[in-house]
Amino acid sequence: MNASAENNAPEALAAPLPLVVTARAAKVMRDQLVRRGTPDAAIRFGIRGGGCTGYSYMFQFEDGPPRASDTLLVTEAFAVRIYLDPKSLRLVRNTRIDFETGIRGHGFRFDNPNVSSACGCGESVSF
Amino acid sequence: MADSLDTSALFQIEEPEAPRARRRAAGRAIGIDLGTTHSLVAVAPSGAAPRVLADAGGNVLVPSVVSYVGADTRVGVAARAEQVDHPQQVISSVKRFMGRSAQDIGFSHPYRIVSADGVIRFDVGGRRLTPIEVSAEILAVLRTRAEVELGGAVDGAVITVPAYFDDAQRQATKDAGRIAGLDVYRLLAEPTAAALAYGLDRGDTGLFAVYDLGGGTFDISVLRLREGVFQVLATGGDSALGGDDFDRALAAWLIERAGVTAPDHGQTAEALHVARAAKETLSSEDVVAVDLPRAGLAGFELTRAQLEAIVTPIARRTISPCRQALKDAGIAPEELDGVVLVGGSTRTPLVRRLVEQVFRREPLVDLDPDQVVAFGAAIQADILSGSPREGVTLLDVVPLSLGLETMGGIVEKIIARNSTIPIAARQVFTNYSEQQTAMTIHVVQGERELAADCKSLARFELRGIPRLPPSMARVEVVFQLDADALLTVTARELMTGAKQTVEVKPTYGLSAAEVDALVTESYDRAEEDFAARSSAEARVELGRVALAVRAALDDAGDDVSVLPAEEREQVVGALADADATLAAPSASGKATDAVRLRLETVSEPFARRRMERSLLSGMQGKRVEEVERAIDDEGDLDARRGGHGPELTGVGHDEG
Repeated sequence: MNASAENNAPEALAAPLPLVVTARAAKVMRDQLVRRGTPDAAIRFGIRGGGCTGYSYMFQFEDGPPRASDTLLVTEAFAVRIYLDPKSLRLVRNTRIDFETGIRGHGFRFDNPNVSSACGCGESVSF
Repeated sequence: MADSLDTSALFQIEEPEAPRARRRAAGRAIGIDLGTTHSLVAVAPSGAAPRVLADAGGNVLVPSVVSYVGADTRVGVAARAEQVDHPQQVISSVKRFMGRSAQDIGFSHPYRIVSADGVIRFDVGGRRLTPIEVSAEILAVLRTRAEVELGGAVDGAVITVPAYFDDAQRQATKDAGRIAGLDVYRLLAEPTAAALAYGLDRGDTGLFAVYDLGGGTFDISVLRLREGVFQVLATGGDSALGGDDFDRALAAWLIERAGVTAPDHGQTAEALHVARAAKETLSSEDVVAVDLPRAGLAGFELTRAQLEAIVTPIARRTISPCRQALKDAGIAPEELDGVVLVGGSTRTPLVRRLVEQVFRREPLVDLDPDQVVAFGAAIQADILSGSPREGVTLLDVVPLSLGLETMGGIVEKIIARNSTIPIAARQVFTNYSEQQTAMTIHVVQGERELAADCKSLARFELRGIPRLPPSMARVEVVFQLDADALLTVTARELMTGAKQTVEVKPTYGLSAAEVDALVTESYDRAEEDFAARSSAEARVELGRVALAVRAALDDAGDDVSVLPAEEREQVVGALADADATLAAPSASGKATDAVRLRLETVSEPFARRRMERSLLSGMQGKRVEEVERAIDDEGDLDARRGGHGPELTGVGHDEG
């Protein structure tokens, strides 16, 4: 299930859509936003410097409005708003966000086709 | 570790890094001077001049005294009135107990103190209260006073602490604020607050001394202003010296004058009260009439000269801490750009003359010395609440990321921009080759990917790294940014403990627009930065592989059983390509990766033979599967240890 762009996004979106968010992942995001008491807040997804091989993912609640340069996505299922900064967008384009439950525990899984290698901890990546 | 997608971690949605739970309300912040003997609160809403807030009776100072006599708690004048009759249930000078454990209390006090798990509590008869809770009572009174004045809730506060307060004492003060229902934006050093009140931050640079003589304590601080931020260079003082000593000395002298040799409690109390009033009058008059009815002294004419003769020995005790502080700061009095007076006792003309004599300049006296610290706190609180104020650069977030240059000129960000300060971050780096016995720590500031595009802040070397195979040495780098925005970078080799530290001052003179421009530039250049970073990373990786292959070649020598001649030719050829690529600075990341892949492919059979040989010699009698499993386990272990971190630029390669 694809994310869809909102019409008043600060930056016009060019097809193809930059992220794939599964309905299962979108539902968990929605539930967590509600449980946090901030159903109208958004989630920021991106990449920041740091971590043992160079970059690591940023995945956090965001209470403010998107910044002028952000790209705003709204998931088709459950209408979760996701912000992407332009620098991260370059590095996470076409990432598939899913939610996994199993013996490894519960959590979001990012399948990022731009990644060339990840370190053992899996939390930092290089491109 | 290449098949990242199958081993990728599971992530949780995190709270934002700088937890701004809510937006601050500009203009609704207060500044609090939480003093040993008295406390006060000031506001400076939305850029206005600061003013202190008084109670209904016009009193500005709240005695820092809390009474737990009876069911209710009283703070201030009412509490002080009960002190004589209930010395153990009325707590004064609680500041001396903040953040301290029982062992730290080396001074005398009348309280019953219970200590458990390192926490001290005052036993006030039925209730046991921590110093934090007692301080919170004082803060709550000040908060209420401000709420009346502001006509509504207080958004947050800046509370001042002595410059010498350690982490535990600061944390205790913060906790007290929280218990009092205050959002403590920040603690501020008292001398810094006084300097802010005088607007001394408006210059670019400067050296200042802050002379703070209160009722019971004396503090001297030397501050340096650089790019809008104050740094405390040195502190000194005497925690048992203050204006109260003047009063006691004068009272004793007056009692002697009255011919009383063994004064009773009433006579002493009366003399103290009269002495304080006389001292205050003599700050502006030359002579004052003194009456001590209980001691039988009437119409005595006390002159300023007499007072000064009595208190000079006490006042002179402040001189040597001042000289020591200057010495500690490494500056001469002539280098100072200003001296600020704080504390009611600095109204005494004698004290002013002494200060002038020691620092060889006229002190700044325009602001009320009792209120100047609260003024500075109020100004700082107003800034932090988000009010626009002219010419202020004090920040409590990192405006631009701080990081290190690693191999290939790539920037490794350690502290991300917009992190709130104070903050500390640590990262472990590894060596690039066995020959690397030193690392260059190049500290940079900026958002770009390559160090060359960022601002260089400092560069130093860590020597004494043991010779270890690539990626085995562990160098821990800690970035510590304190509340005064001073960055301390420490690099430590974890095996030998070799350590090197540098202190840097990141630029804080940037305007919001300049910071925005730098960040936008990093977005605009994301594409080319990305290419440059990929290329640099690929080069580092290629260099690492080439180094390993070359070492293996040397090791194998002419042994054709490990490396047949035609294979050697291929490996040497691929190695030559690698050298050529490494020498060509324009090679793209993809091209460099291709060269590395070829080198890895042609040398793979050679590497496998070498490994088998060494394993067979070491693990004879074991089945191949077991050996393979052992190798896998080894790899996993390495991964769990955090894998290999980025390498720092190598320097000081030993030749030989």
